[in-house]
Amino acid sequence: MSADIVLDIQGLSKSYGQTPALQDVSLQVRQGELLTLLGPSGSGKTTLLKVIAGFEAPTSGKVLLRGLDISRSSPARRGVGMVFQHYALFPHMTVAQNVGYGLKLRHAPRVERVRRVGEMLELLHLDGLEGRYPRQLSGGQQQRVALGRALAYDPEVILMDEPLGALDRALRLEMEEQIRGIHRELGATIVYVTHDQQEALALSDRIAIMRVGAIASVGAPAQLYARPADSFVAGFFANANLLAVSEHELLGDGRARVRCGGGEVCCATSAAAGDPVVLAVRRRSLRPTPSEGSLRIAGVVAEMLLFGDEQEISIDSPALGRVVATIDSRDCAKIALGMELELFAAAEEAVLVPLV
Amino acid sequence: MRRREAPEDGSVRGEDGGVGRALFGDRFTSAASAVVVSATAFALLVPAALVVVLSFSNDRFFDFPPHGWGLGQYRRLLEDPRWGSALWLSVKISLPVALLAALVVVPTLFTIHRSRLPLRHALQVGGIAGIILPISAYAVAMYGLYAQVGLLGTYWGLVLANLTLAVPVMLLVTSAAMSRIPPELELAAMVAGASRVQAWFAITLRLLAPAIMAGGVLAFVTSLDEAVLVNFLGGPGLETLPKAILDSVRYGLEPVITAIATLLMVGTSLAMALAARLARRVGP
Repeated sequence: MSADIVLDIQGLSKSYGQTPALQDVSLQVRQGELLTLLGPSGSGKTTLLKVIAGFEAPTSGKVLLRGLDISRSSPARRGVGMVFQHYALFPHMTVAQNVGYGLKLRHAPRVERVRRVGEMLELLHLDGLEGRYPRQLSGGQQQRVALGRALAYDPEVILMDEPLGALDRALRLEMEEQIRGIHRELGATIVYVTHDQQEALALSDRIAIMRVGAIASVGAPAQLYARPADSFVAGFFANANLLAVSEHELLGDGRARVRCGGGEVCCATSAAAGDPVVLAVRRRSLRPTPSEGSLRIAGVVAEMLLFGDEQEISIDSPALGRVVATIDSRDCAKIALGMELELFAAAEEAVLVPLV
Repeated sequence: MRRREAPEDGSVRGEDGGVGRALFGDRFTSAASAVVVSATAFALLVPAALVVVLSFSNDRFFDFPPHGWGLGQYRRLLEDPRWGSALWLSVKISLPVALLAALVVVPTLFTIHRSRLPLRHALQVGGIAGIILPISAYAVAMYGLYAQVGLLGTYWGLVLANLTLAVPVMLLVTSAAMSRIPPELELAAMVAGASRVQAWFAITLRLLAPAIMAGGVLAFVTSLDEAVLVNFLGGPGLETLPKAILDSVRYGLEPVITAIATLLMVGTSLAMALAARLARRVGP
């Protein structure tokens, strides 16, 4: 085992009665990285976090923290930190008492405690609020206190369960910035749960995409985005169009020749021989102007949505069904509802993926 | 288009006929409910007010309006040792009832709200059975039981009987408060290094404390006020205050009970106000 792996999850399964919530999940979290568990609701990401924290016991499998099996330890013994979605601040304690709670339980000397709490409050821009009670704080301030409480005793890993879910959009962007800053500054190892792919993209070093209790794919955001492992990752994470393929041939070396919508392209693939496949094409890869060797899709414009600088154009193709493209508004001047439109995607922006 | 109409109820309504009829209906129902509410309040408060007024009459017999005013009833109350000892017995029963109720209710709350026991909801219903069942049926059943085990006419028998009424009252008050305390607080404490027991005491019980005190006050008042069970299960030498009042009414109407009733009403009102204040406070 490599020395820089903090958290090593091995073959973890969890079922509630007959319903499996996690199925054979294995995942390694490296020192100092921010790894996001991303998935739709019910995909098991929060259950995985609860098993790591020790609120739920796994049905089978192990959780190793720095090589030590903690699967059966109480939450208190694990030495992890956690930030909850609804802050879960202690309402009868002041900001300073909340942040210092973990240190107090560890019998840290008073002087040390006061110093460390002061440090945390400064880091989180909460100085001057140490005597306030949680109900006297704004949502963003409360979330920062929760962050401080999790950081104060310097845990090996910090778990965050949709920590920005209860905040409005503007505040969320601000808190994302703050979490990024803290992650950089302290080099903390963070496991972050969210269902919001924008949030995951903005924060993560790596992303583990979860689907019905299992990990569908793990990788750096750019890699997952450009080379999705299967149709679920392409659809959920990259928001790609999944196009039916009439014929395909694997050329080896991760390349494939594909017939789709009456044209033929040569593109990358993550499929193996014998897999059922679809062609994943991201919305922004589709343009109304052709280029050499590109994929061509023809259809009737069925819907147009203006997003400011961009427009979302949906066309109905007789061969492929509904296809959605996000196009620069300047290129949309001649497009109108009901007209015939041809869209093109460069071959290097299409990926042949196994259908799941 | 909408315009503001009917400033009496401050609501905004449209101008078409349908809404106009609805508005009339609204006015009618709100007027009718105002009448019903005032009549009910009046009917409830008038006897109480009458008793308070009568307690300041100096007459030896009930008469309205009183002939002379003064603190005679209160003086007679203090002079007669019977009332003092009845009150003292009621307090001696009700204090342990409130305490024991807390000891029963707190573990019950954790079982109902924090465990995954399959029967925890049945526990909640069963816990309040004592105030749902008809009291006289309950009293007869307890009489049969007490006769079997030899608790009839004993002090602890009365404590136990009042406890069966006090526990549901306390459970109702504290259960509402408990459901407002998010379980994540305990999890947050545990992740930070607290044991489960530490998390219960330092977080949940600490936050529940005002509600437990409020429940204790209500349990005490419920027990102090108990007048049915004591008639079945009490006996010689066990004359609680409600029983003394009932007996004095049964064997001859003494105006002195207006003074007792007044003091009881003032005392329980203050206790209830205190309990309501406490119950609203969860947290600091």
